[in-house]
This record gives sequence, structure tokens and C-alpha cells, in this order.
Amino acid sequence: MPDTSSVAMDSVAIDARSIRASLGNVEVLHDISLTLPAARWTSIVGPNGAGKSTLLKVLAGLLPYRGEVALLGRPLPAMRARERAQQLSWLGQNESSADDLTAYDVAMLGRLPHQAWLAPPSAQDHAAVERALHATQAWDWRGRALGQLSGGERQRVLLARALAVEAQVLLMDEPLANLDPPHQADWLRMARKLVNAGKTVVSVLHEVSFALHADELVVMAAGRVTHQGACGDATTHRALEEVFDHRIAVHQLAGQWLAVPRI
Amino acid sequence: MSAVALPFPSQHRQVLLLALVLLLASVALLLLGVSVGSTGFESVRNMLDDAQALQIVREIRLPRTIGAWLAGALLGLAGAVAQGLFRNPLADPYLLGSASGAMLGETCALVLLGVSPLAAHWLVRIGLTSAAFAGAMLAVLLTLLLAKGVQHTLRLLLAGVVVGVVLGAVSSLILLFNPNLMQAMQSFMLGSTAFVDWTACALMASVLTVSLIAAWMMSHVLDGLALGESTAQSLGLRLPQMRVALVAVLALATGTAVAQTGLIAFVGLAAPHLVRSVVKTTHGRLIVLSSLMGAVLLMAADILARWLMAPQELPVGVLTAVLGGGYLLWLMHRHTGRGAGL
Amino acid sequence: MNILSYPLALWERVGVRAALLLFLAVAPARALQLVDDRGVTVTFAQSPQRIVSLLPSLTESVCAMDQCQRLVGIDRYSNYPESVRRLPVMGGGIDPNIEGIVALKPDVVLVATSSRATSRLEALGVKVVALEPKTHADVRRVLRKLGALLEMPDATGADRLWRIIDSSVSAAAQSLSPKAKSSRVYFEVSRGPYAAGESSFIGETLIRLGVKNVVPASLGPFPKLNPEFVVRANPDVIMIGNRSMQATVPYPGWGSIKAVREQRICVFGVNESDVVVRPGPRMAEAARIMAKCLEDKAP
Repeated sequence: MPDTSSVAMDSVAIDARSIRASLGNVEVLHDISLTLPAARWTSIVGPNGAGKSTLLKVLAGLLPYRGEVALLGRPLPAMRARERAQQLSWLGQNESSADDLTAYDVAMLGRLPHQAWLAPPSAQDHAAVERALHATQAWDWRGRALGQLSGGERQRVLLARALAVEAQVLLMDEPLANLDPPHQADWLRMARKLVNAGKTVVSVLHEVSFALHADELVVMAAGRVTHQGACGDATTHRALEEVFDHRIAVHQLAGQWLAVPRI
Repeated sequence: MSAVALPFPSQHRQVLLLALVLLLASVALLLLGVSVGSTGFESVRNMLDDAQALQIVREIRLPRTIGAWLAGALLGLAGAVAQGLFRNPLADPYLLGSASGAMLGETCALVLLGVSPLAAHWLVRIGLTSAAFAGAMLAVLLTLLLAKGVQHTLRLLLAGVVVGVVLGAVSSLILLFNPNLMQAMQSFMLGSTAFVDWTACALMASVLTVSLIAAWMMSHVLDGLALGESTAQSLGLRLPQMRVALVAVLALATGTAVAQTGLIAFVGLAAPHLVRSVVKTTHGRLIVLSSLMGAVLLMAADILARWLMAPQELPVGVLTAVLGGGYLLWLMHRHTGRGAGL
Repeated sequence: MNILSYPLALWERVGVRAALLLFLAVAPARALQLVDDRGVTVTFAQSPQRIVSLLPSLTESVCAMDQCQRLVGIDRYSNYPESVRRLPVMGGGIDPNIEGIVALKPDVVLVATSSRATSRLEALGVKVVALEPKTHADVRRVLRKLGALLEMPDATGADRLWRIIDSSVSAAAQSLSPKAKSSRVYFEVSRGPYAAGESSFIGETLIRLGVKNVVPASLGPFPKLNPEFVVRANPDVIMIGNRSMQATVPYPGWGSIKAVREQRICVFGVNESDVVVRPGPRMAEAARIMAKCLEDKAP
């Protein structure tokens, strides 16, 4: 059972109780209760088919579910869509990309929750987009269409879009897809910076070593949460090894935790 | 626009430039269109002395040329909306079955005209175009019914294809038993501005205005959808209602154009692509530019249709296919050389 | 006559007769051969007694030569004379009922040259003769070919029929008053507008009637016109051949045409338009119908 006693209620970003969700006719999440602390970086890991992406979508309010989800103290259904969108930014995995829009325009779409319906982008919008594009090193080719960019470049633009929302809570599903090592390192640094600034970051990562850079780890298997704890804890490491059938081992190297394959 | 200097002025400039070029082209083509008729090209100056010629210009050529512009604008608008809504670069305005519905409506009207004098009297009043429009709207409603709403894009697409094919088959069956209508329906299927008068122009202009405003107001939904449905939802966009509204705009614009000018292929499909080949921009501006591009395309095709074999007329749909398709082919050829997708 | 020529003349007569008798005795039974409009030679052992017709004008032509009783099947558009309506219907020209046709065991199937059934029927062993009259000259030619097929001598069959048709058309032409004869006519075949030009069958009838067609031969038989052309031509009388355009919805700008303003428009009813539009033996009646229209509506 996840350990929630040490977490005070006003520093909870997302509180989920008894979540059940189905994809088609198959129940994918079985009675999940989870508390994600605010101003912390939580990583969700687990084997394929554990339901990580589904859980993230449910927490973002994008899938129908049974149970309760509260965002920053308020129940999700009670919030208007726009309000929720201003507080919560979601980056999906393999979502279609707008090949014909420029990188700048794509990043500007992240400002939609803040823009009045028919209003053109304001000075703040432009500033936010500029910050976001700089943060992902995508500023230099902001005028190029997405279809002309490589996989990694495109991913960085989509990341910028998620950042441009400047929401309190960021949910990111496989944010490192197609990124090469320098940019993976950049992302790790960026996540840490966001958390230091008081934002909450929740990421689903299948690269376990990168996931171990976070503050908290949520381990999932077969639609249930098997463990939640600090990334540095030994119990967390054991839970991690167990969920992957002891095919990995967690070791420390150069001040970081690493999951190496056990051949 | 805000007072802040845009960090991206060149795109803005490109958009304005394209809009200007298309508007100028429209004016030029209007002048040309008024000069082309059953005797080929005749300068406007000659016409000033001839009362009959002036009347021809006023009552036949002007409404036709303007009508071609308006119908093309409606189709270009509908094409941009369809491609954004279905997130498919091959989408055209006829995807929801409106084309087949219009054809069926017109076929039934023509049959009734010959069979029942009572229906004939009525039909003359409301006009064949109303029958075609009604057919188009009913077909879209049928599609929505079969797809059980607008939520699932794939279901909507499939339902639209099914409705289109089935209604087309029904039309063909009716024509088989009424072969004297085949020629008239062929004219409808390939498109013609011969039936466009000032009333039709007024109607198309009002529908165009309404549709443009509505589509422009919802253009950010199309932008959001370009990033994927879940992402669009996460940005707070109210997808169900917006989609219904967009489908309504699509149906209205397409139905109006098809009712007045018949089935003109390719304008709706090609216009957004042609715009995107020049400038990459968000849907708000894309819709307006696509509308302008479609207008110019159809106007040019109509003038050629009237000119090439004067006093005979070619079906304008053949020329839009040649013009639009030819340019698209050239674009593709150019792009494959560079290795990028279209 | 000298003594030498007398036996020669005698031998001549005897020789010729003997040769003829010899020829008749040993020659095989006479085969019936016909070259149809496709250029295909079709051979029959004897004149066909069971005929299926898939073209209304051919149906009418067979009946015009009093051979209606030989018809065993027709297409769905053949509706004249009344007696053929009780015959089994074998589909239409573009969608014939192949199975039904074969089941009737016809000696020949008469089709249009544009029929899609031809190769299928021939492959099934059914003889097919393709004839398609499109002009006045065609009607005469087709009547002659049918006459040969039905073994009716030209003098009493096809040619006689043609003479009757021809003289009736001339009579219709002569019945026109001078004011009708001087009118300029526009004949619309379908909404589009598709007009009947001078070189079409209908155009030829108009020429026989002595009136002027506003659509010249240079535009072809059925051109799709710019509606402006008709406004400029300003015909005196408009004829609508298509019964579906009954209460016609005019094209924009046609309000200024004299014929529209003064309501000089002939709309032919269901039966009349069948007669007028088909190139067949009822040409004379077509001419009469058009003449009546001109008398009524000419300015």
C-alpha cells in the first residue's frame, strides 16, 4: 500500500482514490489509490501493459473512470475544462503531430487554456512560448514546419508545447522518446528545475535509470500499484527489481542510481 | 494584433502576401470572366454600345463569374475544415455523403417534374437547387445517425463513405429507369455555373459569410485536434460541441455549393494543399486563405470551361481536376526531389 | 435471219436455260447474309422467326414492316406499338438480361452498336445484329437491312415504307404556313443545356420542315451550349424534347429571349417526346408533332 501518512494534505498535487478504468471491455486499472505529492517529481514505472499510460490519462481527466481524482485539492469533475487545462499540462505518447504547423505555432497551442476565445496571442503568451522553446533548445528553428524536423527535434517542440502551458502540474508520458543523450540529460535537468520552482512533475518512463533520477517512484504491474516510495530507498529498489522479474539490478554509480540488466 | 513585435514576422508577411495575390487574381479573373462568353473573348469596350450585350453581361456573365468565385470559396472553406476535422490530408468536403445526397435530391426532383404535374408546380417554386440542398443535408444527417454522433472520427468517415456509395447507387438505379435524365444528371455530376443567377449569388454569399465566421471562430479547435484528440482535450477544448458545430458548417457550405453548381471535384481537396505549399500557418488563417484559393481556382476553371470551345461549354469539374490536379502533381514531383513529404 | 444465226439463237436460249436448271439443281440452299453496322457479317440459314429487340427504334421498325409477330422479347424502353408491351422484357440496352434472352432461344437479337451484350451473347451462340439509326439516311438504310433480314423484298417492304414516311414528312412540311416556316427554332434535348444541332436527327427533321435551327451544324449533333448563346440567337420558338423539363426552370438571363417572353415554348408530353426523340419509322409523326408546335407557337 502506498505510504501517505507523511504527506500533508495541502502539499498534494493529485489524490486518486479507488480508480477503476477500462479500455474497451477490459478493465485495465484495478482499484488504484495514489497520492502524488506537490512540488516533487514522481516517476511511474512498470512492465509493458501495466497501465501506466492509462493511469496518466485518468489523472489528467482524459479517460472515463470510476473512483475519485482530486487535482490540487479540488475534485476533477467539479473543475471546468479550461480551469483544469490551466492547472494541468499533459504530454501524450505517440499523439499525432501537426506536420503543417511551424514549431512556434505548435508551442503557442500550449497557451490555448489561457487565451480568451477569439483573442490573438498576448504579450505574455509570446513570452511564455519563447521561454518554453528556449528551455528545449528549439528556438532556433521555430519557423520550420514540424514535418521537416527529425524525430528528436519534433519531440522537443512537443515538450515545449507542454511547458508553454506553465501549469502547476505536468504529466508527461514517455517525454524522452526519440531524444538523443544530450537532450535526455537536458530534460532531466529541466524537470529538476521545474520542481525546484514549485511545480509538480509526473513522468512515465520506460528508461528505468532515468526514472530513478526522480524524487518518488511509483511501481505498477498489471493495473495495480505495487510500491510507492523515494527513489533513494532500498525498498523501492527491491520493489523495482521484483516487478521486472529480477532481470535488472539497481546499483549506484557516479552519484546516480542505475538499473543494469542482469544477464 | 498586439503591439508587441511578433517574433515571427515573416510568416505573417507571407500570409498577407498570399491573401493579396489571391484577391488581385480574383479581380483580374472577374474582369476576364465578364469578357468571355458564347463568342469567346470580347472586350468590355465593345459591349458598351450594344444593349443586348450589356444585358447579357449583367444577367448572365456577372452572376456566373461571381457565383463561381463564391462556390469555390465555399468548397475551399469546406475542404480546409474537413481536412482539419478528420486530420486527413485526403479529406474533401464530400466525405459525409453530401455529394451523393445532392445528386439524389436533384434526380428525384427531375423525375417528379416529368411524372407529377402537382410536384412540378411545387418544384418550380422552390427550385431544383433546393431539392439538391435538401438531399445533401439529409445525407449528412443520415451519416451522423449511422455514426451515432460526431465523437468517433473513424466511424464518421466510414458512415460517410457508406452513405455516399448507397445514395449514389440509388441515383444510378433511378437513372437506369429514366434514361432521358442521364444527360442532365451528367451535367450535374461534372459541375456547371450555367444555372447561377443573382439570387443564387446572394444565397451563396450569405452562407459563405456565416460559414467563414463560424469556422474562423472554431479554428483553434482544429489546431488542437492536429495535436491529437487527447492533447486537444487536455488543453481544455470542448470537443463534442465544437465538432458538431464544425460538421454543421461543413455540411452547410458543401450543400450550398453543390446545390448551385453541381459536383465540382478537387477544389475542396486541392485548395488547402495549395495554400500549405506556400505558407505554413494555423487553421484560422488557413481557412480564409483556402477559401480564397478555392474561389480563384474555380473562377479560373469556369472561365476556361466557357472559353476553350465557345459557344460550347466544357464541364467545369473536368477543368478543376486538370488545373488543381496538375499543380498538385507538380508539387509532389518537386517535393520528392527534396525527400520531404507533401 | 440467215441459216447460221437461227441455230445460234436457239442454242442460246436452250443453253442459258439448261445452265440455269443445272445451277439450280446443284446449288446449295440459299443462305441469308447480312453485314451489320459493326461491319460484321452474320449468316442465317433462313430468315429469323424469333427476334429479340433491345432498341426501341428497331422494335418499331420490325413492327412497321408488319412482322411484329416475330418478336419474342423486347427491352424495357420499347413501348410502341401497344402490342409489344405484353412481350417479356429483357432489361435495357446497357443492362440486358442475358440469361432471359438465351432462354427465349431467339434466332437473332437486334441491338444498338453501343450495346454491351454483344460479345457475351455471341459467345453463347446467339446471333446478334447491331443496327443503330442516328440520321434520316440511317433510318432508310436500317429499314433496308431489316427488310433483307426479314426477307421482305425492298420494293414491297423497306422502300415502300420509306416512301410513305418520306412523303408524310414532306406533307407535314407543306402544311406549314409561311409564318411558321420563317421561324427560328431552338430544340433543347436535356437540361445543361444540350441542344439538337442541325446535324442531329431532330435537326434534320427541322430542316425538312423548312425552319431554321439556331444551332449550326458546325457545333456537332448534341452540343452542350453556353446559355448565353441562346440569348444571343434569340429564337422565335423553343422546343423542349425532354418530358422531365415540363414546367421548365429557365436559365438565368433567358427572360429576354423573345420565345420565353411570349411563351412560345413547346413542351412535348410523355408519348410525344418518345416519338420526337427516336430516330425510327415514326419520323413522319415526329415531323407532324413538330409542325403542329410550330403552327401553334410561331410568331
